[in-house]
Amino acid sequence: MKQIEKKLAIASWITMVMLILGTIYFVREMKNNAHMETDLDEYMPKTHPAFVYSDQAEEWFNINDGILIAIENPQGIYNTESLSKIKDISIKLQEMSQFDENDVMSLYTADNIVGSEDGMDVQPFFGDSPLVGGMLDSLRNNVKSNDMVFGRMVSTDETVALIVASMEDDAFTDDFYNEIMTFAKSYEDGQDKIYVAGRPIIEGTLGQLGPEDMKRMVPIVMLVISLVLLVLLRSFRATFMTLSSVLISTIWAFGLMAAVGVPIYSVSTMMPVMLIAIGVAYGIYFYNHLNKFFVSNPYASNIEAVLHTVKVLWKPLTMAAFTTMIGFFSLLTSEVYPIKFFGLFTAFGIFMAYVLALVFLPATILIIGNKKRKIKINDDVETYTLMNRITDKLLANKKIVYLSLAVILVVSVVGIQKVWINSSFLEKFEPTSEIAITDGFVNQKFGGTSTLNVILESDDYDAFKQPENLVLVDALQTETEQLMKVGNSFSLADYIKRMNKVMNADDESFYSIPESSEMIAQYLLLYEMSGDPENLVKVVNYDYNKLNVTFQLKGDDSKTINEALAVIDSFKTKFDENGIQVKYAGSGYKALIFSDLILEGQIKSIIMSMVLVFLLLVVMFRNLKAGLIGSIPIVVTALISFGVMGLSDIALSTTTALLSSIAIGIGVDYAIHFLQNYKVYVRKTDSRHDAIHETMKHTGSAIFSNALVVIAGFLVMLFSVFPPNRMLGLLVSMNMFTSFVGTLSIMMILVYTTKVFLRKGVVNEKQKKFKRKNN
Amino acid sequence: MKTKKMLLLLTVFFSLYSIQQVKSQQTGLQIMQKVYDLPTPKDMQAELTMTLTNKQGEKRVRKLSQFISNDGNMEKKIMFFISPADVKGTSFMNWSYNTEKDDDQWIYLPALKRTKRISSGSKGDYFMGSDFTYDDLGDRHPNEDNHKLLREEILKGKACYVVESTPKASGHMYAKTITWVLKDKSIGLKRDFYDANGKLLKTLEMKKYENINGYLTVLETEMKNVQRNHATVISLANVKVNQGIAGSKFTERSMTMGR
Repeated sequence: MKQIEKKLAIASWITMVMLILGTIYFVREMKNNAHMETDLDEYMPKTHPAFVYSDQAEEWFNINDGILIAIENPQGIYNTESLSKIKDISIKLQEMSQFDENDVMSLYTADNIVGSEDGMDVQPFFGDSPLVGGMLDSLRNNVKSNDMVFGRMVSTDETVALIVASMEDDAFTDDFYNEIMTFAKSYEDGQDKIYVAGRPIIEGTLGQLGPEDMKRMVPIVMLVISLVLLVLLRSFRATFMTLSSVLISTIWAFGLMAAVGVPIYSVSTMMPVMLIAIGVAYGIYFYNHLNKFFVSNPYASNIEAVLHTVKVLWKPLTMAAFTTMIGFFSLLTSEVYPIKFFGLFTAFGIFMAYVLALVFLPATILIIGNKKRKIKINDDVETYTLMNRITDKLLANKKIVYLSLAVILVVSVVGIQKVWINSSFLEKFEPTSEIAITDGFVNQKFGGTSTLNVILESDDYDAFKQPENLVLVDALQTETEQLMKVGNSFSLADYIKRMNKVMNADDESFYSIPESSEMIAQYLLLYEMSGDPENLVKVVNYDYNKLNVTFQLKGDDSKTINEALAVIDSFKTKFDENGIQVKYAGSGYKALIFSDLILEGQIKSIIMSMVLVFLLLVVMFRNLKAGLIGSIPIVVTALISFGVMGLSDIALSTTTALLSSIAIGIGVDYAIHFLQNYKVYVRKTDSRHDAIHETMKHTGSAIFSNALVVIAGFLVMLFSVFPPNRMLGLLVSMNMFTSFVGTLSIMMILVYTTKVFLRKGVVNEKQKKFKRKNN
Repeated sequence: MKTKKMLLLLTVFFSLYSIQQVKSQQTGLQIMQKVYDLPTPKDMQAELTMTLTNKQGEKRVRKLSQFISNDGNMEKKIMFFISPADVKGTSFMNWSYNTEKDDDQWIYLPALKRTKRISSGSKGDYFMGSDFTYDDLGDRHPNEDNHKLLREEILKGKACYVVESTPKASGHMYAKTITWVLKDKSIGLKRDFYDANGKLLKTLEMKKYENINGYLTVLETEMKNVQRNHATVISLANVKVNQGIAGSKFTERSMTMGR
């Protein structure tokens, strides 16, 4: 015994040292290599055909997302100071290395194509000298009569002016985000208010708030979990050790991410909360078994207790850990990289928590010792009577349980029809947050902060010099703009219409596509000679057979984009008759494709985890019936979960898509524990009645405390600044609750009625009355 | 004592340095002046082909017939589009003055059957969607820049002076240009243009030149915008000089004739 004692002590110390060294290593990796990924393009699979095409079109037409800076002056922007701010901001932006001169669009940089009896002029709206008096009025008239800027660069109520600076996504950094915010805000004073919006800003804000949110949530979850642990374990030392083990597993998971160069995505900021909530359950199992052993063997040594605990615990714990990992691994089927990585590294974190519960916690007992606690005998009796009563009630009212389940499922299936997917990145923010308010303001005053690019392609050179094609493009724009959420649109047709009007003495009746293709060709040549030809690059290619039509949308959610797509798609046949294909590009469209991938991934990962869990149950219990019964609580949980989402209008997003796999992975633990223990009892007693009561008594309360911890942990996510994270916390908590209730009600009844695990030929069951035990 | 010696040494050093500066500046200026002073014909006519290539490799080819006359005070230029077919007959006329006066420009669109004046914009505007600005196409007087002979080197097997020119006035679109000038012919072989931030923007290369009736005439040049990955090749064919083009060629009426 001495020998083993010595060996174990050495092993414990080695374990500790290795853990500490590993943790130091991973902390260093985190410090040196961890970075937040905020470029939303990085969230999307690069090889998907829709993305490949979109990236290509973005290259052709220089399509980039823009930073929008809006200047609001309630008295109107046509005053000397506001205008000189527009000029200063435009010039300073052009001077920044992140922007090309052509990337900045504002009233200052815009071309004013004007006409006269004499000819055509392309002029700036205003020059370098300050504008005063009558010049302000003439500027105002010039803007008002130019559809290419009115409502685009200046709001129609003339109180807001817009400066758009488009940039490559990868040029955007955290530092630049701060720089541009400080720069823009420095122009704010009593007179003018400054708003900064646009997709790069949304991404930047996400990058700032994400880690902040994570830093804020970790202490809260630690506090909540500590309290729950203290109540359940009644020991400071055990609470501290359990918390340490989950913290170490979280550090290792993030450290590994940093070490292999995987960035932190916005979904990964939820990992600590999840790992802590899930991981503490393993600590609870360990201390529960340890204490149980000390209760029955009060004079046993620490070594005996630890050896016994590890021996009895490792099997069920392995099962629990691996089923949970399966849930997270199933996320690997998603094509969305952040979700894939989230699944992979959370699974690794859970594996670590599992290993630590079997290695680290025993080592601490051997090194530091265990605090003996007072033994309460009456505890179990109460649970027993309560659980007994519940069990009997449920078994007596099977039909009611079946019926209510049926009703709940029917309602859920109805709800599932209503589930919708939202790929909006903007809706990750609180509606009252600054970014959401700014975005709403710009959307209200201008065309919209989100863009959808429609790419028209023809095999014929010069197709878009043909009047009939441009007339069709014009009709497409006009009809799509009828939609509430489509602000405005822009294409080659707008240039041609404007020039036709201008070349005909500003006669409004000429604001249309001219009838001859020569006229169009000559207008275009004229524009190249007098305007900035770079502007045309954004709307048409050199061969005039690829056209970019840009729509400004007042939202980046799937509903808005789909509405616009429906109208545009209705033009497909007409374009097709002219030999023109309609395709899509741009961040808005990519977001939509992305949402389809989320749904697809969601369905794949649910099927995958269900199948794996079912197989695992069948193999584990070597019993098909057990596999089917064990799967029921999670199937019910998933159905209810989606039903609730549909009925309460919670959309599937990159965040909430994680839900079902997590729920399945954790939820099935309950079924496994229940079935495992029931099997043991039923083999021991040969009475399903006795066995079911025994199982309900012991396992039922263990499941209850597990559910309690996990629910408490996930509810902490309600403190997140991101609404989808709060939703996820709420939904996972709800799912844990349904899994818990489902396992102890419907599954319990099915286990009982189907006589699973019951040896054949056992007939004396009814005579074996249930006996009250008082140990 | 020591400080005095040191000061003296420094003074000598700096005076030598400035002399060196003056010397090289003079040389640089001389080289550029010689290029500027190359004789040019009174008038010239040619067939011009302009090929624009964008970053996708798509090309736009335009053929024009071009007439230029220069009387020393003003340069008149008229161009008629030959192809592409849909702009055939379109003509463009530019009068450029030696004074501060802005250029006068007209365009005739046959589809509209009208001649229109168009604004000349600034010298920094790109010409006809090409990589040449109006400024690049004209001759810049050497007095407008400070010149410095950087080195002499062999380019494409030919001995060249390498001269750096920095604008004297601020606010110019180029921070500097570096020109490779053929030693024996005083003609530029290559020029690098640096943008206001000092980054290489464009590279101009002379591909072909010929002596036509005693005038060194550039027949093909290529301007590459390395930042936009866009290139323009201008080539001339059927060049005729000093044919005595009538003044009536450069009128609004002539523009409507289409050639």
